[in-house]
Amino acid sequence: MERETLDVDILVVGAGPAGLSAALRLTQLQAAQGGTPLSIAVVDKAREPGAHSLSGALLDPSTLADLVPDFLAKGAPLACPVTNDNVYVLGAQKKFRLPITPPPFANHGNYVISLSHFVKWLAGQVEAAGVDLFMGFAGQSVLYEGTRVVGIRTSDRGVGKHGTSRGAVEPGADIRAKVTIFADGVRGHLTKDLLRTLQMGGSQPAQFAIGLKELWDVPADRLAPGTVIHTLGYPLRQEEFGGSWIYALPGGRLSIGLVVGLDYKDPLLDPHAAFQRFKLHPFVAGLLDGGQLVRFGAKALPEGGWNTQPALAADGALITGDAANFVNSMRLKGIHLAMRSGMLAADTACAAVRAGDTSVTQLGAYKAAVDASAIKRELYPVRNVHQAFGAGIVIGAAFAGLAMATGGRWPEDLQGHAGHTRMKTLSDYYGLEERDRLAGSNAVTPDRVLTFDKATSVHYAGVHHEENQPPHLLVQTDVCHSVCGPEFGHPCVKFCPANVYEMVDNGAGGRRLQLNASNCVHCKTCDIMDPYGVITWVAPEGGEGPHYDGM
Amino acid sequence: MMLVVAEQKEGRLNRASWEAIAAAQQLSAGSVPVAVAVLGSDVAAVAAELSAADVSGVWAVSHPQLASYTPDAFVAALAELVTALAPTHVCLPHTYQTRDFAPVLAARLDRALITDVTGLSRRDGVPVFTRPMFQGKLVAEVVAEGPAPHFVSFQIGAFRADSATRGSGAPVTARPASLQGATLRQTAEAPFQESKAAVDLSQAERIVAVGRGIKAQEHLALAQQLAAAFNAELAASRPICDNGWLPMERQIGSSGQTVAPKLYVAVGISGAIQHLVGMKGARTIVAINKDAEAPIFEVADYGIAGDLFEIAPALIAELGKA
Repeated sequence: MERETLDVDILVVGAGPAGLSAALRLTQLQAAQGGTPLSIAVVDKAREPGAHSLSGALLDPSTLADLVPDFLAKGAPLACPVTNDNVYVLGAQKKFRLPITPPPFANHGNYVISLSHFVKWLAGQVEAAGVDLFMGFAGQSVLYEGTRVVGIRTSDRGVGKHGTSRGAVEPGADIRAKVTIFADGVRGHLTKDLLRTLQMGGSQPAQFAIGLKELWDVPADRLAPGTVIHTLGYPLRQEEFGGSWIYALPGGRLSIGLVVGLDYKDPLLDPHAAFQRFKLHPFVAGLLDGGQLVRFGAKALPEGGWNTQPALAADGALITGDAANFVNSMRLKGIHLAMRSGMLAADTACAAVRAGDTSVTQLGAYKAAVDASAIKRELYPVRNVHQAFGAGIVIGAAFAGLAMATGGRWPEDLQGHAGHTRMKTLSDYYGLEERDRLAGSNAVTPDRVLTFDKATSVHYAGVHHEENQPPHLLVQTDVCHSVCGPEFGHPCVKFCPANVYEMVDNGAGGRRLQLNASNCVHCKTCDIMDPYGVITWVAPEGGEGPHYDGM
Repeated sequence: MMLVVAEQKEGRLNRASWEAIAAAQQLSAGSVPVAVAVLGSDVAAVAAELSAADVSGVWAVSHPQLASYTPDAFVAALAELVTALAPTHVCLPHTYQTRDFAPVLAARLDRALITDVTGLSRRDGVPVFTRPMFQGKLVAEVVAEGPAPHFVSFQIGAFRADSATRGSGAPVTARPASLQGATLRQTAEAPFQESKAAVDLSQAERIVAVGRGIKAQEHLALAQQLAAAFNAELAASRPICDNGWLPMERQIGSSGQTVAPKLYVAVGISGAIQHLVGMKGARTIVAINKDAEAPIFEVADYGIAGDLFEIAPALIAELGKA
């Protein structure tokens, strides 16, 4: 069967804030500079722009103002400006408000947004500028020629569960480009391949957290729109990194979420269950009382900061946004950094194509531009903060304060560890006598009013996948029952927020892993946190997955 | 007038056609006559069946090219008919066939199409159609714009076939389709069934559905006996089909079939929301589950909290006496 090929000058992989900013910037450069028109393509696995975009979200509008100066006139969907900031420390029943809001949590001048709506709007700007968005095309693999990246191959369609045809197989297309800008998001599966193949990893291992989010409709007078609340503490313990957000949007809509560092020690910790516990806290339950769940979603986010950025350029390739770990985990913001990196990548890619030289030497200008930009100004001073949280929240918070006081001047950088290596075995964590304990250490019985089971959450994520397709989670299942069970007690069942991983009776007195792959919300947590590194997330057939409208 | 497009296959009427007639009667509320059309190569018998409805007439549209469904021929024939009759609304059952041709037909005539409608109301004399969004999480109210006719397809099970009012025998008019100038690019090959057991659960009047509570494949025989005792089709929730114990075509729920039978017996099904959206339209729901807190009981009309391995045999025995 014939495979289609498409040749473009610049290919952008991923239609999120970074990729769309890159594409829009390219059209602006084109308009300003004239000359032979550049051919630009953007591909994304979601059916429509924003469908896989999930964030809190608070937007620092600094980059947006540079990219689209008249963003208000152009109707950027900024739900409302932040009107007041609150930080609480939660105990199991109580809450303490911090008397002053720590500077990183101050959000005056920022906006509460739905990232999904924002991305959809940004995509509209890009399309209006004449760029083709190939929505519903998942990247399957990176195309290399030697050490040069020459594009990507999209995934096949119509292949059944066992590799046979479901009716009509449409082979993926090869999109070949002089420069490929990788904007495939947190733990991007193509960027992951790129980093491994070309050994482009950063000076420190990347670190991540999982964010679980829900939208709720509550009585409109519950919280003034623009109210921003962050909490620390409960339901997480001292040893766990994370916190929550509660943002009030207009019309009585609340965005609530819990971030749990993917470097926890308790192998039976269940972030989804922790999120349910969070909603049961009297403070949160009071805010949600009488309300209704509208949407659920989950997504990993980069936490490691500046020192975990990979090499940003290769022959024919640039890495941007979350894929390059450009998130300020202290300010809980990355959208503006993703957009900035996309713009800088566009500048570099455009100049390189014009110069007829897209080698790593020429594309290295992108790294210099990042170093000279607000990205480094913001991330460098706080580069050690997340790593310090490895020693617990108290030391981490103290370190965060020191980082601000000194502007981040340290004799030596703290070394981080890949999060999954910190997970302890059952016998280390619970002691030998408790080794057969398999229930989540923080399991919650859902009341179906405030708290829900994972299957219900999946429904509220709007997830849809063709059931009859090859599994997109590649797992070496032989270790599951024999090794992982006794050692870790199947943490995949706990950390997956979507009930993709299930241990079922194998009919021979043991248990086997059952993959409910069609539940997947594309959060990437399993790819990150599995203690053996045997789970690989690849894209399912394009156009499916969660539907995060409004998230 | 309003025109209902009934659906038949090999002389058998799709029972969702009666639901579309019921919906059209409700939509018209006596204000305009309702007529029915049915397409095929020889539809006299089906047209006679439809003439029992309280409608102004039945159009038996025939042409050899309509013997087997192809989108080109059906769109061409319906475009001819709709243009000739100039109805205010064209009402269709939301079948797979409708999903295939209705968008083309509406686009061909450049008219509005509202799909998967579950309810009707009027605002300022204008029909307002409700239809689900987000897998049934939200309901949208939709008003058609632009000139008539407006095309409307009705969700299977949203209107009750037996609520269609019957008349004293509507006149049947045979009307050969000309298909003149139509480009027919498709020819249908002989229909085949992927497996012998191929089943259209949306047509079943009674369904016994089995879930995880059945525990092991060998216990499926019990569910089969229960289905036989009810003269029902056997269906399942997702875990059963995931395990390969039953084919995927028997899976009920958001990733399987949506059904609205008269009787739905859920056996060992806890009632995950993904399952509920596929069957909550059933007229009578009976649930057997050992967990009295299971969400299935929230939608069940009759609930039995207990061990299905005791209850199912008892039911089979009782039904055997009847």
